[in-house]
Amino acid sequence: MNYLRQLRAVLWKDLVVELRTRERTISMAGFTVLVAFLFNHALDPARVDVQDVAAGLLWMTIVFAGTLGIGRTFQLESEDGAFHGVLMSPTPKDAIYLGKVGANFVILLLVTLLALAVFGLFFHLQYGERPLVLLLVMALGILGFVAFATLFSAISSGTVMGDTLLPILLFPLLVPMVIYGVSATDRLLAGRPVAEIAGHLRMLAAFALVAVFSGAGLFRFVVEE
Amino acid sequence: MSRRLSWAGLLPALTGGIMVLVLHWLVFFYVPTEAAQGLIQRIFYIHVPAAWVAFMAFGIVALCSAVYLWLGDERLDMAAVSAAEGGMIFTTIVLLTGPLWGRVAWGTWWTWEPRLTFTLLLWFIYLGYFMVRSATESPERGRRFAAVLGIVGAVDIPLIHLSVVWFRSLHPQPVVLKPEGPTLPPEMLLTLMLGFVSFTLLFFGMTHFRYGLERTRIEAAGRESRDGGIEP
Repeated sequence: MNYLRQLRAVLWKDLVVELRTRERTISMAGFTVLVAFLFNHALDPARVDVQDVAAGLLWMTIVFAGTLGIGRTFQLESEDGAFHGVLMSPTPKDAIYLGKVGANFVILLLVTLLALAVFGLFFHLQYGERPLVLLLVMALGILGFVAFATLFSAISSGTVMGDTLLPILLFPLLVPMVIYGVSATDRLLAGRPVAEIAGHLRMLAAFALVAVFSGAGLFRFVVEE
Repeated sequence: MSRRLSWAGLLPALTGGIMVLVLHWLVFFYVPTEAAQGLIQRIFYIHVPAAWVAFMAFGIVALCSAVYLWLGDERLDMAAVSAAEGGMIFTTIVLLTGPLWGRVAWGTWWTWEPRLTFTLLLWFIYLGYFMVRSATESPERGRRFAAVLGIVGAVDIPLIHLSVVWFRSLHPQPVVLKPEGPTLPPEMLLTLMLGFVSFTLLFFGMTHFRYGLERTRIEAAGRESRDGGIEP
């Protein structure tokens, strides 16, 4: 019980900080809208049916926006040694990690909702009769993404290369999420039955589990001094 | 100096090196030409053993990394980084021989075939492993970061593998490890086995030397900080 309270405290603290600065959310949201705008002009509608490639564009937008925002998870706290204070507290390291993953998940979920809205508007997507299933696909995918990205963001912010290192560490591991996430989204957008993506959902859930558990187990080795 | 050039490293490296030369002789002059693919199939005896060593090396890296984080023994990290460097070399060999073979056998340099995709990702995970080490101010922190990366890579690799296999495979089906026993002609099997043995020996010999180099480096760094950076 105590553990959950500590986890929630970290999660809430990160969300409140984000609510007050709105730094990461605004940059991610702006990025999402502008990328959708640029994609629209990068594709020739006479040759490419945008609906056919929308799922891939949507996921890549979320991956890039997420890398941008999650990469700054430890930025604010690294100033004035604030993160040392967090680490000095009796909170278990994995509770800190899971709290940060939770906060990042909420933030990225909001960005995902925005991306769905913007892509729907710009590319005339039909989200079909089961928008909640689509949301479940996106949520599972970004949970795994956020779990890996938070862990690697702690690593990259501890290097001299900083944020520039994050994509090199993170992207090779995202293949399961991108393959199954895009394919499931593609099928849902094409109006295929939900039964067809049951296997996709299982793989996305497995990816999220692997990411969350390995992150929770290894985070203390990243932050220990 | 002589301590570094111990027989434990020299023996496998020399044997492996000589066997690799023999392997090339076998590949070019001994083994019969495969009927369906012709001459190009001979690259198989380099390509497959290199892939085996590349994957095995990653297993060693992950194992040493995990035990390093657990026990904190510096030697385990030295073993991990040595194996990772060998692994990266052999992964590069796989990535170089693969397209050469693919160009003739499949008619294309590159295709998004699962094992090809998977090997490229493995190469990038190795790259991240080395970049993280070189990008930290404190070597101890770099070692910890790299170990975490090695473990996360190993945990995610089965999922990556499953995902990329989802695309239809262009690769030939297994010819050696299958329930009814190998179906290769004996000459081909002998050459392939020699490939496995020689590459593995070469890898362990190289890893041993790399380990010695890493130890010398750490000792030199320790001496330098002890003497206040003044060369003795």
